[in-house]
Amino acid sequence: MRSHFAWIALLVCGWSAAAAQGAAQAAGSPFAEGIRAYQNLDFDQAATLLRRDLARASSAASSASERAQGLVYLGAADLFRGRRDSAVAVFRRLVQLDPRFRPDRLVFPPEVTGVFDSVRVDTRAVVLVTPPDTQISAGTGAFTFWVVASAFQTVEVTLRYQDGAPFRTLYAGPMGDSLHVQWDGLDAAGQLPPVSRVLLRVASRAPTGELTGIVQLPLDVRIVHVDTLPWPKPPATAVFLPERSDSRPALRALLGGLLLATTVAALPSVVGGDRPSGSRLIVAGTVGFAGAVGYVLHRPGRPLAANIQANQALRARWQQSVAAAKAENVRRRDDVHLAVHAGEPTAIKPSVR
Amino acid sequence: MRLASLGVALAALAAGTTRGEAQGLVPAAGISIVSARVRGTDQLAGTALGGQGALVLGRLELALSYVQGTLDPEGASGPGHDLVEGAALLGVRPAPWLRLAVGPHARSYTLTGGTPLRWVFWELRARASGAFVGSAGRGYVELWRALSASVNAPESFDHAQGGEAGMVVHLSRAPLELRLGYRIEHAVLGGGTRLETVDGMVIGVGFAGR
Repeated sequence: MRSHFAWIALLVCGWSAAAAQGAAQAAGSPFAEGIRAYQNLDFDQAATLLRRDLARASSAASSASERAQGLVYLGAADLFRGRRDSAVAVFRRLVQLDPRFRPDRLVFPPEVTGVFDSVRVDTRAVVLVTPPDTQISAGTGAFTFWVVASAFQTVEVTLRYQDGAPFRTLYAGPMGDSLHVQWDGLDAAGQLPPVSRVLLRVASRAPTGELTGIVQLPLDVRIVHVDTLPWPKPPATAVFLPERSDSRPALRALLGGLLLATTVAALPSVVGGDRPSGSRLIVAGTVGFAGAVGYVLHRPGRPLAANIQANQALRARWQQSVAAAKAENVRRRDDVHLAVHAGEPTAIKPSVR
Repeated sequence: MRLASLGVALAALAAGTTRGEAQGLVPAAGISIVSARVRGTDQLAGTALGGQGALVLGRLELALSYVQGTLDPEGASGPGHDLVEGAALLGVRPAPWLRLAVGPHARSYTLTGGTPLRWVFWELRARASGAFVGSAGRGYVELWRALSASVNAPESFDHAQGGEAGMVVHLSRAPLELRLGYRIEHAVLGGGTRLETVDGMVIGVGFAGR
């Protein structure tokens, strides 16, 4: 007896918690009335209200997650009303709308989640998860996206022209719950797309090979050429050193030697010596000769080897930077980028194929 | 008194110019062959060997020199007479091309009669130098004047002054320099009754730390 009370208490607590969570979900939802009726166990009223609101929501701007919430409550209400086929149909719509959707197991009992899981496995729906805008380096980069499936299935992921003609096959084979697919921006022949729009199509097949669904979305592609670098400016004229000597060092040597020689010779007159020796004339002559040699060594117009070498190194550095810019521009010209804009996905019935 | 004032002024100048310059000691040294000729009561000539060294700290410089040789009577035969000369100068460089220095300068040589003549000068020197053949050939002119002197001669000291001019060639691939100069010193004693002139050529090779 005591254990029965414990079970009842546990059930009441769980139901209360689930009801509180469901109420929180329903708050602000376009399906609030139907959800409230479901929580009050008035399943007929709930089914009526949810169908009405879903009919409105399909034409109104409600989000996919809101519609998925309405559908799961409607499927559960139909199930508890004894309309299993109707519930299966509703759950199939839900799986096609969002293959990743899973009912909250705190809100819905195992009867509901069990039926939903069996429908999900049989339905085999996929969705495409793509970045809205991407820029890739054609040939070396990759436009990447995910294919998310409701259950294990075989898929063909292809790019097609707008008229449906094949452009490039990206993947064909089995997949589990998700598949990471890449496109390098080129067609089957390795060329850039000759059109500005292609269709990304995912076709699902049953194990029997029967086509069970197609999802496709448009990709707007635009070829982007990367800007080339400007060539480095040549060094300014003021930066170069003079490559030939001017007249100043030569004149300084000549006049300096002359002045110094004169000073040496005239030193006894300045100091006031008595009969100075002739050695001063030897020194004065040597200094004067050194000045003359200095004039010859630093004669005007003489090539300045160090400056010539420094200027050559400066020019070589500039030419190297120009060559580097040219090489970079060649690389950039070859590196064509592709801007990809993904549009809205659409589901196509297999019969339309 | 005048010497003391001058020394204090030079020290103050050196302290002011070396403040904030964290340069180490830079040595310089050299040897010279000096041809000397003395014109006074005697006529003497000869060759002496000299050595000089300097320590440079920032703009402050301490220079020492020593010369020793033999002088012979000119135009007559006789025994040689020793010549010894030395100087210690404390200098400062207020500008890269200018050096001012002060210090004692002593000279001793023996006259023909056997009397040794000893001179001690306290000198103030000014030396200007600058490159005139590229950066390797530098010319220099140095003038000095005795601020005071003592000499063991019967005449009283009147005044003395001197100078040296020449050139220094720095070798490009070694810290060596070659020096060629002419120097002359002239002293007047007894109001001009006695004149002493020492002049000669200096040929040297030196090591420069910078």
